[in-house]
Amino acid sequence: MMMSKTRRLHPIAAVIHFIKHLKDLFFPFMVILLFGGNGLSLSFWEMLFTATFIILSLVIGVFSWLRFSYRVEDGELRIESGVFVRKKRYIPFERIQSLDFSEGIFQRPFGLVKVRVETAGSSGSQDAEAVLTAISKAEATAIQEILTSVKNTGRVETEAIVEKPEWVYKITISQLLLLASTSGGVGVVISAVIAFAFQFDELIPYEKVFSELKGFISNGLVFVSTMVFLVLLIAWFISVIGTMIKYADFTIKKVENDLIISRGLLEKRQLTIPLNRVQGILICENLIRQQFGLGSVYLESAGGTANEDHSKALILPIMKRDEMASLLTQLFPDYHFNPTMVPSPKRALKRYMFRHLVPSFVIVILSFILFRSWAYLTLLLIPFSVIWAFQTHKDTGWNLHDLQLTLTYRGIVKNTIFMKKNRIQTISIRKSFFQQGQALSTVEATVKSGLGGSGGTVSDIEEIDSIKIYNWYKHGA
Amino acid sequence: MVMEPRKRISERALKVWRIYGIFYSALFLCLAGGIVALAIAFNWPSWISIISVLLFVLFLYIFVVRFPMLRWKRWRYEIREQEIELQHGVFVIKRTLVPMVRVQHVDTKQGPILRKYHLSSVTVSTAATVHEIPALEMEEAEEIRLSISKLVRVADDDDV
Repeated sequence: MMMSKTRRLHPIAAVIHFIKHLKDLFFPFMVILLFGGNGLSLSFWEMLFTATFIILSLVIGVFSWLRFSYRVEDGELRIESGVFVRKKRYIPFERIQSLDFSEGIFQRPFGLVKVRVETAGSSGSQDAEAVLTAISKAEATAIQEILTSVKNTGRVETEAIVEKPEWVYKITISQLLLLASTSGGVGVVISAVIAFAFQFDELIPYEKVFSELKGFISNGLVFVSTMVFLVLLIAWFISVIGTMIKYADFTIKKVENDLIISRGLLEKRQLTIPLNRVQGILICENLIRQQFGLGSVYLESAGGTANEDHSKALILPIMKRDEMASLLTQLFPDYHFNPTMVPSPKRALKRYMFRHLVPSFVIVILSFILFRSWAYLTLLLIPFSVIWAFQTHKDTGWNLHDLQLTLTYRGIVKNTIFMKKNRIQTISIRKSFFQQGQALSTVEATVKSGLGGSGGTVSDIEEIDSIKIYNWYKHGA
Repeated sequence: MVMEPRKRISERALKVWRIYGIFYSALFLCLAGGIVALAIAFNWPSWISIISVLLFVLFLYIFVVRFPMLRWKRWRYEIREQEIELQHGVFVIKRTLVPMVRVQHVDTKQGPILRKYHLSSVTVSTAATVHEIPALEMEEAEEIRLSISKLVRVADDDDV
């Protein structure tokens, strides 16, 4: 049988383990150094400590590589590993749900890939059932082929089967640009920059900088606002570049009953989703994209790891809403992507207003009590909440179509989720005291996603509509 | 309107919830007592003590008398061949439908207080959600657990 001999990872795996080990320990290490000693000047002991730490990581890296071996035997992927504790893990190919390939910056120069083995049982942890950190592409494809042949015939075969995609979609450059420029990553970058800057409290004399800044500020508001604008622009630029690198070359293929997604410029990632594990389809539109009629599509899929990537997989990063339906229908012919949504009734708007205005009022009142002069700024919250309430109310709706329930609702982004009756885990209807008086109800549907649940909640729709949905879900309806 | 589920949970649930309510109130009693003690020690105006005592009494009434009653009145469940239906909630009434085919496992649970009253709770788990029917007669809980696990095996899956 092919590949039955024991194999080792590429030696670069030792380096990767070493670096990963260093990275894991970097922060606790820095904390000890910074708070335990006097700044960055190292004493002899600290130096010794650092050296031991690095050497130990290196030794562990090398040993974990030496001790790691894998082989294919008796229809199982057999992995043996462990420096102090020896671990043997035998994974039958039937139980493997998917193999995910990714190429990091260490794997690339040597033409290697990292393979993550996902099984239904690899639940409960962030990690995959097994990870082969660095193996040659040829070996990886060989394992993939064995997996495909086992899945198809139920036994291990040695012949190679050529993958022929039935359907391919690739992101265009202009779409990539659009995706990057409308993503909400700016906030993340800004907070990261701020957090990062304050890490170096001891190195940068902030007080001095600030006192000099005061001089500048008194020179004029124009200067300050220009600076703020520049910082925002740079943050936005960084987030654009980041997103472009992450989603460059985004390709999605349908091969038999799997969707294979690959993306990334520096680190190539590949993800396989078996179509029969799809629990629901989610279209997300953030506020900016919604204005341009754009959205992105995610799949809710069951099993796998608790990893976000697996439970909610991005399959179309950005696309015009009206082009989406035809494309998605090709992939999921049994779903109906153009339902006419039944909106939340007009009289429910009051409740939306109430829900959005109460928190803002609380903030406004508190800040008037606490700050006085600056509190006027918080008044801006009120028109903002009114607009937000209008938008949220407008973006609420439901539809029943044969065996499909579609819900739209807005949290921060607008979500539209398409669910099949036989994939819905539970349906609840809720009615508060105030809703009761107005014959309104809230409906919640849950589907399985990853290890937990996901789904949709529409608030304040007609009570009779909620009962319609409830009865549709009932047995024998 | 949809019919309410038929069955109620055990009436002894009231007693158990009242005991829980007393536990919560004990926490609040410490808080109120602390405030009164401080008020006496530092000569705070007497209305502070009066308000905290009144609040404590109100709290006691709500958690020991009012809520358990409302909760018990609202709690309904029904187990049919193909699905489980639950209804509960004090301010917000929530009704949930769990098809038998979606049920993954059923547990019965019993803490010391429930055991004293010969009660038990039943937890129904699906792949994505967990639902609890609190405070059932022990025999009934046992029976429900058995019958659900039997029904789950029988329920036909229109999945594929």
